[in-house]
Amino acid sequence: MNPAERNELIDDLIEERISEADFLRLEAELSVDPAARAAYYERVQLSMALTEHARQMPAKKAPMRWKTTPSWLAMAALWVALAGIAALLLRPGRTDSVAEVESTANGYAALVSQVDAVWAGQAGAMADGALLPAGIVKLESGLAQVELFSGVRLVVEGTAEFEVLSPMEMRLTQGRVRAHVPETAHGFRIHTPEGDVVDLGTEFAVNASAQSSELHVLQGEVEWHPHAAKMQNMVGGEALRWQAGGDHAAMTADQSRFVGLAEIKERHETAQKNRRSEWLRFSEQMRRDPRLLACYRMDVSDSGERMVRNLASTPAAKPGAGAIVAARRAEDRWGMTDGALDFSPAGSRVRVSVPGEHGSLTMLCWVKINSLDRLYNSLFLTDGHEVGAPHWQITQDGRLFFSVKKMEQSEKGRRDKHNAFSPPFWNTSLSGQWLMLAVVYDVKAGTVTHFLNGEILSSETVPDDFLVEDVRIGNASIGNWSEPAYRKDAEFAVRNFNGSMDEFLLFDAALPATEISAIYEHGRP
Amino acid sequence: MNESQQESAFVAELTGMQMPLRLYVQSLLPGDPATHDVVQQANATLWKKRGDFTLGTNFKAWAFSVARYEVLNYRKQQARDSRLVFGEDLEQTFAEEIAARDDDTERRHEALKGCLEKLRPQDRELLLHRYTASAGTLEDYAQRAGRSVGGLKVTLHRLRNALLGCIEKQLPPLEAES
Repeated sequence: MNPAERNELIDDLIEERISEADFLRLEAELSVDPAARAAYYERVQLSMALTEHARQMPAKKAPMRWKTTPSWLAMAALWVALAGIAALLLRPGRTDSVAEVESTANGYAALVSQVDAVWAGQAGAMADGALLPAGIVKLESGLAQVELFSGVRLVVEGTAEFEVLSPMEMRLTQGRVRAHVPETAHGFRIHTPEGDVVDLGTEFAVNASAQSSELHVLQGEVEWHPHAAKMQNMVGGEALRWQAGGDHAAMTADQSRFVGLAEIKERHETAQKNRRSEWLRFSEQMRRDPRLLACYRMDVSDSGERMVRNLASTPAAKPGAGAIVAARRAEDRWGMTDGALDFSPAGSRVRVSVPGEHGSLTMLCWVKINSLDRLYNSLFLTDGHEVGAPHWQITQDGRLFFSVKKMEQSEKGRRDKHNAFSPPFWNTSLSGQWLMLAVVYDVKAGTVTHFLNGEILSSETVPDDFLVEDVRIGNASIGNWSEPAYRKDAEFAVRNFNGSMDEFLLFDAALPATEISAIYEHGRP
Repeated sequence: MNESQQESAFVAELTGMQMPLRLYVQSLLPGDPATHDVVQQANATLWKKRGDFTLGTNFKAWAFSVARYEVLNYRKQQARDSRLVFGEDLEQTFAEEIAARDDDTERRHEALKGCLEKLRPQDRELLLHRYTASAGTLEDYAQRAGRSVGGLKVTLHRLRNALLGCIEKQLPPLEAES
């Protein structure tokens, strides 16, 4: 089959006019010839593009095109439906009505990132990635990058007041918005107090206020529909300033006056870096804390180096560097490459040795858990299971589990230690999030307290019979267990932690809850 | 990443691959105007199942397999005996190749605009009218246009060839990523 004949058959197929015999010939050709398939994709793509183009054509005369295009209505309807589904799926435990959720998220747009953003009213403190709330949103100050589900990307500068009405439509009563509109979202519209801007591609900015407003076309073309005058087309480089009364003046577009996507990305990264350096400063101080026995930061800069240094500066009998076994380098909680270790490869662990006898202890680590695959998932386990040795791990059902062995088991079934479990804190929605876990073993008070993200999960008293006052650690593993005696029982002995860790701290004292909380506040990304 | 960050990463993945997804579905349902609905259905299903997806793994491969399932569903609903359907292997090849392909939809669309301008006005009108939703089958269209089906078919084919040739020329070569 020559290409001309093949292309003809492809067009016949797309026109749904192909005979069965020709279809089979074409299918055979497509199966064996990559060039034939490339031609097929190209022609399917062309028919899609022509359909799209034909759909947009009449809009040249009617700027309300997006309202007349059923696909966008369908898309909008889809997202409304999705917002409902999302609300239900995201909050399985909540019995609050869907109506409540619907009143808080509009399902048209997500807040992608923000820099020093202060939101007023119901928007409250929005996290990056949150769906934008329905209704009028007020950004008091700072920057926000908002992504509409049509693909429109907005950078909003506070003070701004706006409302996203659909994936293709928003209202801006006050503030600066720079809009980047992809091909698929042409027809995107911004209502302003003085008129409507309809995008014909690809980038423009609006600065609106009650007294006067400006429209800058940075690239491509827009239609400006003032309330008080006739529509006019504006192209890249043109700008308009108009007064509330209807007076207006032409200007030159000035993109430097509006923060763009590249700039907000840069500023967001800078903000993240700043938070990280703040943490490093805080951490620097903490390293001189005489209670700190070990501070293992898993940022092994050289891939050949298989050691993590103990950054704690003061302890007399200082535990040495940790030896990395199998664990791979991974991204840390600040998004820095190679700042963490991924313990998911079989056998992964960091081997450490902690000399001396201790009383109260605090262990703390930042982890990103992929899943809890094992019966017991190790955070910090001493080798074997000796009297006086602490074990800190996560059970498969998502509880933190801490114990210090009190005595040798005198007979089978007899307890040899007190097991302190937290209530389950884990569910799969936490998968991939960075969490700060901590446990405080307070010998004086006789308690074990579990923490998640700086907050107490549970606190319980260790019965006097089981309280161990001389804690010995010796050789231990972070993220796994080294225990020859149980080696044959894989289910029991394999405890490697399926996730990443970027920091592990060990204190020779019981830190008060306020300090744990402070470490979390300074250290959260 | 917290839940909402994952959510928005998922949304970004989903919105970022709408064009390849449409191309894939359309390649399984050539000429079928229902492609749009099938794609929307696939989107809804993907959203519902997003908990099954691990960020960082091959989103397109997963999305395409979900989309193909929706295509099969759609075919079942249609139950049109006359429908000609590609074999499963070939459909799988489409999925792999389209997923691996650069998404050049926007660039092609942009080039297409320029190329349409170069056509004679009557040709342009003929072609674009063929693609309006109300055009119907080629027979309907031929009747309304007062032309023979065969003649019209040849004309349209020739115009599409001309457009594709023009688009190829207009497309600047992709800059090599260094």
